[in-house]
Amino acid sequence: MTCAEVRQVLPEILDGGPEGVFPVDFESHVKSCLACSDLISDLKLISSEARQLAASEEPAPRVWVRIAAELRAEGLIREPAVFDPAREAESTSPRRRWSAWWLVPVAAALLVAGSYVVSHKQAPQMAKRQAPATPLTTPTPVTSAATSASVSAPAPSATPTSAPSAAPQRLARKSAKRTEVVASAEKPAVEPEPSAEDQQFLSIVSTRVPSMRATYESQLKAVNAHIREVQAYLKLNPGDAEARQHLMDAYQQKALLYQIALDRIQ
Amino acid sequence: MTDPKQSITEAEAIEQAKQGHEAAFEVLYHLHKRRVYSLCLRMVSNPAQAEDLAQEAFLQLFRKIGTFRGESAFSTWLHRMTVNVVLMQLRKKGLPVVSLEETLEAEDEAPRKEFGTRDAKLTSSIDRLHLERAIDRLPPGYRTVFVLHDVEGFEHNEIAQIVGCSIGNSKSQLHKARLKLREYLKFMRAEKAKTG
Repeated sequence: MTCAEVRQVLPEILDGGPEGVFPVDFESHVKSCLACSDLISDLKLISSEARQLAASEEPAPRVWVRIAAELRAEGLIREPAVFDPAREAESTSPRRRWSAWWLVPVAAALLVAGSYVVSHKQAPQMAKRQAPATPLTTPTPVTSAATSASVSAPAPSATPTSAPSAAPQRLARKSAKRTEVVASAEKPAVEPEPSAEDQQFLSIVSTRVPSMRATYESQLKAVNAHIREVQAYLKLNPGDAEARQHLMDAYQQKALLYQIALDRIQ
Repeated sequence: MTDPKQSITEAEAIEQAKQGHEAAFEVLYHLHKRRVYSLCLRMVSNPAQAEDLAQEAFLQLFRKIGTFRGESAFSTWLHRMTVNVVLMQLRKKGLPVVSLEETLEAEDEAPRKEFGTRDAKLTSSIDRLHLERAIDRLPPGYRTVFVLHDVEGFEHNEIAQIVGCSIGNSKSQLHKARLKLREYLKFMRAEKAKTG
């Protein structure tokens, strides 16, 4: 048997060719031909290593948020209606209803703030275009505690799991080409206190849906941490358009978090 | 406090999803999200597109969940649906689901080896990143068959049915895909050695 003949029968033999029906001189050729035996072992290796790629990637948390929103819009999610007099009274109380509506302008303000910050960052970028490039750095990748908190266990229903988003994941991928990471000194050593809006938000959540408080709090922390990370990164790399987009995404996710809470509370 | 959803089985989640319980949909999503998203990503090599496709696959699944009677495994049903969503997208974009072999030969960028000549063998393991990149470089038709067979574990008869080709064609394309991957991987290794 020649090498060419071996290669002709190889597709059959490698993929489920029944044992023992190989052409008689196939094995003797492979034993004596290093090129063919290397080829066969390489192809088997590629095939076996490829199996490890199944289920190797984690989708961004926003995928579920979008799916859930679509399911709700299509009326496929039909939560069982349980009559709860206390909640019923709460939901019809004008004061309570009003108290949740402040979330709408806050969510909108977050988006506006995000747009402002992102567009504002473009000015220094234009100015620095002629300046020497800053050392390539990147925010801490996906492994941040904030991110893993939202990605790991399934979150309760209607949970705004999108908080940290795929932005760090994409940045992490990008970072494969980069060697340096933001020095720990660039990150705030102590986590800053939540803003007044965030505190008010959490306080409303505590009152209306106490069981969700911990989840929203952790999501809020995650998204805030992500915003801080990208901001720190942008300080060093004001010209990075992708990072600016990530910052915008992060603000949008924070707005979405508020919006989801609002939907939940109403 | 234990999350009640963590103790729910897939079968229970399916039944509850049929009743429209959001938590059940979420459980099913989390159980299968990695596999579905990875499949989409491998087939289109674009994270944003893969997200859209994974979303579409889950939405189609959830819309039809009421018709699931359990004759086949739920995961098989979902993965088949995902593949169909991806293939439909590829077809919409005019990409060949099955390779047109003659035209693809010209795309081969890696140097060819003559029969009987021996070159360095791949090492005992392959760098995952290299393998991912090599798969990304495969022509779409080869990539589809390779991903379905070697990554996802579909049989040739299933692939033939899904993509609409003969079993022999599926085998042949898989073999050619593996050969190309081998060349790409060697090429990458040589490049890496050059750059130090």
